[in-house]
Amino acid sequence: MRFLNQASQILGKKPFKKIFILICLLILIPILRSGPRVGYGIAKNQNNRILRIGTSGRVRSANIFLDSYISVFAQLSNPSLMKMTPDGRIVGQIAKDIHISSDYMRWEFHIQEDLYWSDGELVTPEDVKFTIEYIRDRSPVAGWMKDTIDTVSISDEKAVILQLKRPYTRLDVEMATHRLLPKHIWQSIDTPMQYTNPGENVGCGPFFIQKIDLNRGVILFAQNPFWKGPKPKIDAIEVHIYQNIDVLSLALDKGEIDVFYNYASSYPYQNLKKIRANSRFDFIEKLSTGLIFLGLNLGKAPMSDLRFREALSFAIDYGEIIKLDSLGYGKIPNRGFLPPTIEHYKDTTPLEYNPEKAKQILDDSGYGDHNGDGIREGHDGKNLALTLLVRPVHARLAELIQDYLRSVGVKTTTKSVDTSTWINLKDRYRYDLTIARTTPWGMIMHAGWATGYFDSRRTGEGVLHNIDDPKFFKLCDDLLSTRNKEKLRDFAFQVQDYYNGQLPAIPLYWNVFVTPFHTKFQGWLTNPLYGIFNIDNFLNIEPAQK
Amino acid sequence: MKKPALPRQNGSAQKKSLSSLLAVVLFLVFFILALCANIIAPHDPWERFDPYLPPSVEHWLGTNDLGHDILSELIYGSRVSLLVGLGAAVLATAIGLCVGLFAGYYKGVTDEILMGITDVFLMIPRIPLIILLAAFLKPSFWIIALVIGFLWWTSTARVVRSKSLQVSEMNFVLSSKCLGFSDKHIIFTDIFPNIIQIVIPKFMLTVAAAMITEASLSFLGLGDPSMKSWGMMINFAFTKGGLINALWWWFIPPGLCIMFFVYSVVLLGYSLEEKEQAVLGIS
Amino acid sequence: MKKIARYLLALFIIISINFFIPRLMPGDPITNLMGEDYIVSQESIDALKAELGLDKPLLVQYVTYWGDVIRLDLGHSFHFHTEVSQIIASKLFWTTALVGLSILFGTLFGAILGALSGWGKNDPKNKTLTTFFLWIYCTPPFFLSLVVLYVFAFKIGIFPLRGFYETGTFTDIAKHFFLPVLVLSLSLASRNYMIMRGSIIQEKGKLYILYARAKGLLNRGILFRHAFKNASLPLITLVALDIGFIISGALFVEIVFSMNGMGTLIFDALLARDYPVLQGIFLIITIMVVVANFLADIVYGIIDPRVREQR
Repeated sequence: MRFLNQASQILGKKPFKKIFILICLLILIPILRSGPRVGYGIAKNQNNRILRIGTSGRVRSANIFLDSYISVFAQLSNPSLMKMTPDGRIVGQIAKDIHISSDYMRWEFHIQEDLYWSDGELVTPEDVKFTIEYIRDRSPVAGWMKDTIDTVSISDEKAVILQLKRPYTRLDVEMATHRLLPKHIWQSIDTPMQYTNPGENVGCGPFFIQKIDLNRGVILFAQNPFWKGPKPKIDAIEVHIYQNIDVLSLALDKGEIDVFYNYASSYPYQNLKKIRANSRFDFIEKLSTGLIFLGLNLGKAPMSDLRFREALSFAIDYGEIIKLDSLGYGKIPNRGFLPPTIEHYKDTTPLEYNPEKAKQILDDSGYGDHNGDGIREGHDGKNLALTLLVRPVHARLAELIQDYLRSVGVKTTTKSVDTSTWINLKDRYRYDLTIARTTPWGMIMHAGWATGYFDSRRTGEGVLHNIDDPKFFKLCDDLLSTRNKEKLRDFAFQVQDYYNGQLPAIPLYWNVFVTPFHTKFQGWLTNPLYGIFNIDNFLNIEPAQK
Repeated sequence: MKKPALPRQNGSAQKKSLSSLLAVVLFLVFFILALCANIIAPHDPWERFDPYLPPSVEHWLGTNDLGHDILSELIYGSRVSLLVGLGAAVLATAIGLCVGLFAGYYKGVTDEILMGITDVFLMIPRIPLIILLAAFLKPSFWIIALVIGFLWWTSTARVVRSKSLQVSEMNFVLSSKCLGFSDKHIIFTDIFPNIIQIVIPKFMLTVAAAMITEASLSFLGLGDPSMKSWGMMINFAFTKGGLINALWWWFIPPGLCIMFFVYSVVLLGYSLEEKEQAVLGIS
Repeated sequence: MKKIARYLLALFIIISINFFIPRLMPGDPITNLMGEDYIVSQESIDALKAELGLDKPLLVQYVTYWGDVIRLDLGHSFHFHTEVSQIIASKLFWTTALVGLSILFGTLFGAILGALSGWGKNDPKNKTLTTFFLWIYCTPPFFLSLVVLYVFAFKIGIFPLRGFYETGTFTDIAKHFFLPVLVLSLSLASRNYMIMRGSIIQEKGKLYILYARAKGLLNRGILFRHAFKNASLPLITLVALDIGFIISGALFVEIVFSMNGMGTLIFDALLARDYPVLQGIFLIITIMVVVANFLADIVYGIIDPRVREQR
């Protein structure tokens, strides 16, 4: 304050205010334009044997079993029975091999024998049996296990045997997402819903969770002293949680963190330019198996009309969406929905922007503008006014879609709501159009090939369950009935033909996931399910040679 | 209230009128911008050019992530922002005025009840409630204005009440009562004109509060994305990489606009308040 | 007595509002429990709802809620997997530190500077101060936070980017607290400054000051012995309200500076429709505001005997 007073006296009376503001602006603008300076946090970051990962996932509790964000990170300390390889196959992780009976009713998992918990205990088939039963009985997300798994037992050869109630072909895929729990710790925890452990969590991976400090916003991993596998070349891993993606980006640019990771997400495209200018960073770019799409309420007119859906698909300018929403990190999708990174991809017709054709189709199929107000009428004679239900993250996409549809004579109103409201309205089919995305796991859940998003016989928080066509149900059941590669390929093709023919949803773009990483670490491996966050990667990366 | 005649502070009157002139000019500028946005703005704010352009002759403040001209957005944004601010303040002032007038005039039980309600509204956790309502109702800017207005009337009510308590004890009101005028007549023709002086500054401060609240809600992503307000502009500037890429021409101007407009409104409010005090003989 | 009855009634109504508003929103605590690509079976949903008592009629829930409030049993959260009281306690500690310091600095500096400025002549020094605080007053707090964070933490790099602490030492915590406390104190101080200045100017005009002056007291002496005391009355009410609201008002600062405090807790709980946490937070805030107001009334009575007689 004294400084201000003195300044004011030096500068004189009247013009002071303006001069003061001017000076402020003059100081501010160069600061805003200049690059980041080295400062706080840099000194501590000389250690290049500690990997620091920045995430903006909203971790809520120190519960590795139920917090969906922590459970992604906990796969490093509490690995799953199965894992996904960099090329997208499901293979054993804790299980060294599996035997499946020909009727898919009996699954036999043989467990690695040289795994130890971080407190020195051997990992036994008992742990696996306990974990599966524990998930089945106590996890709210594993309801399917209750009506699928009959008994879990341990054979004389120390294999874990799952006897099922019904044939189930995709148990190995499911087992890639559930984390192994130490029986000697968790058997005394009766109500996981009310359990948190911010301290050491016993794990059997190459690293274990040493501390979960949510006030500070970090999850600390240390090397498992009893790990017998290949020795990691880094000493520790820290996950730093940011509430705000821009602050995360600043921290990355400053070198406070070494790599970005959010489950099923790319580094924000608009922040890439900045980090690309930073020579210390390199990038992993992979076409994701997930995508962003326009969901349609197929139970309501006019979306129930295939011709209308066709017209919509021609009204959308995919090229511009890619330019504006993904800043070029996207590809124009096919009508077959699934991106080429998916197993058994079939190359169907690419989507096309052709507003004239869209108008033509609308005119031809009875959606003309008879009263001349610029808005077309539906078959009931009323103006076509659709509700576009979106979450705030998709606000800009909604703006574009609204504009495209307006220019072919379809009026839409955007309704932007928070996630809980979105789920609530979507589950009650209270929308006409909506924008949603698929995640890598979502693409393989249920019968795979994105069927989990559309099959109306099941529901979930991010899925649309909008197809109740018996033909589609049959396809899902077919996919679920076999593990035969030839047959699966055939059914997967049929599903893609179904999407191609029926357009139950219009993909907007296939997106590329970009992950920036500091070049002081090298040897990065990613898999389609969890990106860089997988054990293979953390065993492989090493400090770069200078 | 006693009205002691006191010596005025030297030479401050002139300067005060200078700053209030500045406030009036600023206010009018924004008002005209909002009114004639379609004439003044160089482009249609919904027209898409190349995205992320830096300032140039064609686009003085560059373009945003969708390629909208930022200057035009800013000019059109004044419409929504001013509407939300003024709308909310009108509503809040109307409620506060009615509650305060009736409580102050009728006294007794009416006063107790009305002030009880005021206490409740004063003590409700406002920001969480407003976030809650904004998330709950469809986030259109009218709803936001309505919600803000509905929660921001308490201090006006309190001020109006204490003032009308005073006024209703004054001789001319008492004589009106003796002459048998109706309560409605007395409230609106005798008391109201005496209160308007303190209501206007309050109104101005409420406009300021409402605009800041709207901007803050938009920043949290609870605004109306289909309308262009200054708050929404800041929100998009931050969610779409304005901060990280140092695109100051994108996020600073809407912030400054909010500041300048609020500044003009607050200054107007204060200078009106001071004028009122001058009338009462307090300098 | 009447006053106490009114406070109790207000308390009753607000606590009831705290119950009903979250339940009126679309969705419930189970809606967004596990994240977008998990499937929660209907069976599990029903079981979880029953555990929270959401399967019962609203009125029964309301009665149970009051029972819990009276026993101060806040229940447990499905989203945070802990007792609500425990979550709130851990967040409240840091937010209280953040907010307490800000209220302290904001009130002290705002009130004293405002009083001095109102008392003194309208010279350039005071005008600059007034202009400065007026600008702060006109800046949305989140915008101020962002600019401050960007300039000081990123561009100049003398302060950390986020969080309450890194290593937990005193200097470390102080470094993390500096910017958020600065922003919050400034915005509080700006308001307090304007109010104090205004009411001192008013007091200055009042007759009794003339008497005091006639008695031969020194200028500053009058200010702090007479005018300041009376002029601080409106401020006391506001500070009382601050104590409750700032917990939620710190929201923006907490979001910008990535601090896991009460503000972000409220926001998270809102988006998750976590009824027990929302109710718990609102209950705490309500009790704090009501108690603070009650205390303010008492302080009012001590400072200004006229008020005591009036009420």
